[in-house]
Amino acid sequence: MTNINAFAGVDVGSLGTKAVILVNGEIAGSSLIRTGINSVENGLESLEKALDSANLKKEDLKYIVGTGYGRISAPYANKTITEITCHAKGAHYLHPATRTIIDMGGQDCKAIRVDEEGNVVDFAMNDKCAAGTGRFLEVMANVFKVDISELGPLALKATQVLPVSSTCTVFAESETVSLLARGEKPEDIIIGVHHAIANRIKGLFSRVGIQSDVFFSGGVAKNTGMRKALEEVLEVRIANPENDPQLVGAIGAAVSAQRLYEKSGNVSQRSA
Amino acid sequence: MSRKELFRYSEENKEEFLKSDNITFNDGTVVTPEEIWHYLTVEAPVKYPNAYEINELRGSRRTRDEKYVTGLKSQYLSLTLSERMEKAKDKGKTVAFIQGGQAVDPYTAADTIALRPALVNNWNSGRKYGETVYERNVRTKGIKERAYHDMSFEACQTGGFEHIQAGDLRVDVIAPYSALRCSDVSYGLEAHRHGPNDKVKLFLGDYPMRFQADKEWAIEYFAHNIRKLIETLDEISGKKTTEEDLKNSIKLHNEGRKLAIEASEIWWSAEVPPTTGGERGALFGLGTLEGHGDVQATLSVLKEAKNIIAERVKKGVKGHKISDNPKRLFVLGSCVGINASRSEDAGAIVVGTDNHWSHVVKLVDEEGDPYYNLAKATLEYPYEQSIEKRAAWTVEQIKKSRADGVIFLHNWGCNTQAAISRAIVDVIKRETGLPTFISERELGGLSNEQEQNRVNAFVEML
Repeated sequence: MTNINAFAGVDVGSLGTKAVILVNGEIAGSSLIRTGINSVENGLESLEKALDSANLKKEDLKYIVGTGYGRISAPYANKTITEITCHAKGAHYLHPATRTIIDMGGQDCKAIRVDEEGNVVDFAMNDKCAAGTGRFLEVMANVFKVDISELGPLALKATQVLPVSSTCTVFAESETVSLLARGEKPEDIIIGVHHAIANRIKGLFSRVGIQSDVFFSGGVAKNTGMRKALEEVLEVRIANPENDPQLVGAIGAAVSAQRLYEKSGNVSQRSA
Repeated sequence: MSRKELFRYSEENKEEFLKSDNITFNDGTVVTPEEIWHYLTVEAPVKYPNAYEINELRGSRRTRDEKYVTGLKSQYLSLTLSERMEKAKDKGKTVAFIQGGQAVDPYTAADTIALRPALVNNWNSGRKYGETVYERNVRTKGIKERAYHDMSFEACQTGGFEHIQAGDLRVDVIAPYSALRCSDVSYGLEAHRHGPNDKVKLFLGDYPMRFQADKEWAIEYFAHNIRKLIETLDEISGKKTTEEDLKNSIKLHNEGRKLAIEASEIWWSAEVPPTTGGERGALFGLGTLEGHGDVQATLSVLKEAKNIIAERVKKGVKGHKISDNPKRLFVLGSCVGINASRSEDAGAIVVGTDNHWSHVVKLVDEEGDPYYNLAKATLEYPYEQSIEKRAAWTVEQIKKSRADGVIFLHNWGCNTQAAISRAIVDVIKRETGLPTFISERELGGLSNEQEQNRVNAFVEML
């Protein structure tokens, strides 16, 4: 191990695997790859790429935290933490005034409340059904035959919000096809889809409450239409940090790695 | 399928174990510690390798503490359930499949073995030898899927009905109570009424609508239901159950309930948890005397257990692999439970639950009409009361257990518990100030990763 003060966070999600390297408390490198069938290899590959972008080697790392659904198979990590805690830490790192986080990933969405130090004080997640998540938007992008990245800009061109069901991805898909067949403008339907998701999220906040500043993390946070729909439905302003929102969990994992290292004082060797 | 590495009990604990008490069964059979040790170390690993598999995700060993005698004996009773049920049926014993908020005192009185859904599933699971955890999960998941088709995917407790309809198990009578706690009872009943196996009798205990415990008519009406239940059981067995039989059964069950209450007070008073959370749950659960399909056997283990726990608390023994300052969780809801070992690995321990515990804490009057007394006690189960009353009782238990956080779980299809969870938790939050968390889950799901993720996040939050 070298004397570089370097820490890593690896977030193996259902769609993307992300890794972030922190050096002296600053983000020095990161990577984002598509999650494949082998979560151990995905995690290691993402970590290697992040290390490359930071011009570091694995031996330079003092501590690694794994998070996301793939954390269950993360032999390279010193410790694993849930992504709820990591998103809280990551959002607080990027925007310390954060008190509420909306995290929308590939298969779930979370409403997280945090205190002034980024500690989770309450949270709620979607149960059972993946309607209202990244997968939902992927299905909708297929219906409109556009790339998922185009959905947000298209939504912003809408002239009205057409109501679309938020309870089931399959029903929403057939509803969308029906609206298209009726001759409705695709942009108006697309903003309706975004509002449907936002309304679902609103239900989560009825359980945990909402307090400014509100931070939006996860892959879906890249979608400008989703951001607008959430602001309208939740009646809040969403903070707009510059970093890639999909990396927030990995950033939080890296921040946690540094804190755990400092807390323990003397860290055991990594297992891989 | 490749064989898995199996856990083995260490011989160094044998001598101490052999000093423990015998287990006496309903039929008078006595099993010695030597025989139990032999079964657990020689016979069972071959028959049920899944119970010994070293599996960090789903270790199904009843105890992780080799020195905890009660844990080993509970495991013995659990592993032998299937074989004992088959033998009991060969001898003509009546077996009832029960569900809903009921006590088993009437069944004991009528010389009937009462099994709830989990035990029916356990009976069926144990009929196949040599399975790994994975193989058993795939098989039981297949039964669950089959039941979804035959009944409804909206129902949570489906396996028991499915086994009976398929003729897998020799159950004589289905006897659920129409308690409002189980919204899925109706699915099972309809499936049974219209299913191919109509030879199995049906007795539906008409539980008066909730919150009637102080109404004379309701107690009398429910007492009448209990009489009819015993008559139905007698029709099957050809025996005649007397009022004295029910009185004796109540006395016997009260003994179990009292012992479990005393054991819980000792456990909760301990500075450090004297057992793991799973072992605690198994210990408190012994109080209903119904958990192993043999009332007397369960009672003999429970009698010994109380002293064992007292001794461990006196010596400051800490449960196996429990962290130094574990976050104490109280778990609410029907037919739910979190993965004890994984939650303990995350730094937590389950210190209490509400569902069956509600049956244990309610003692039945022993003087006077036993039917009336039993009906009155059953209608007074704290779990079956109004939200405010149930929550007030739960708050008491939470305080006794010194919990740090409260989790309410409800199974997919368990509509009643899902509907009232928020209201119950709101009262608990208001009265205790503790962090709370509500989550839905799938009963018998092959993978509980989603649920574990939420539990771990809650523990991290605490």
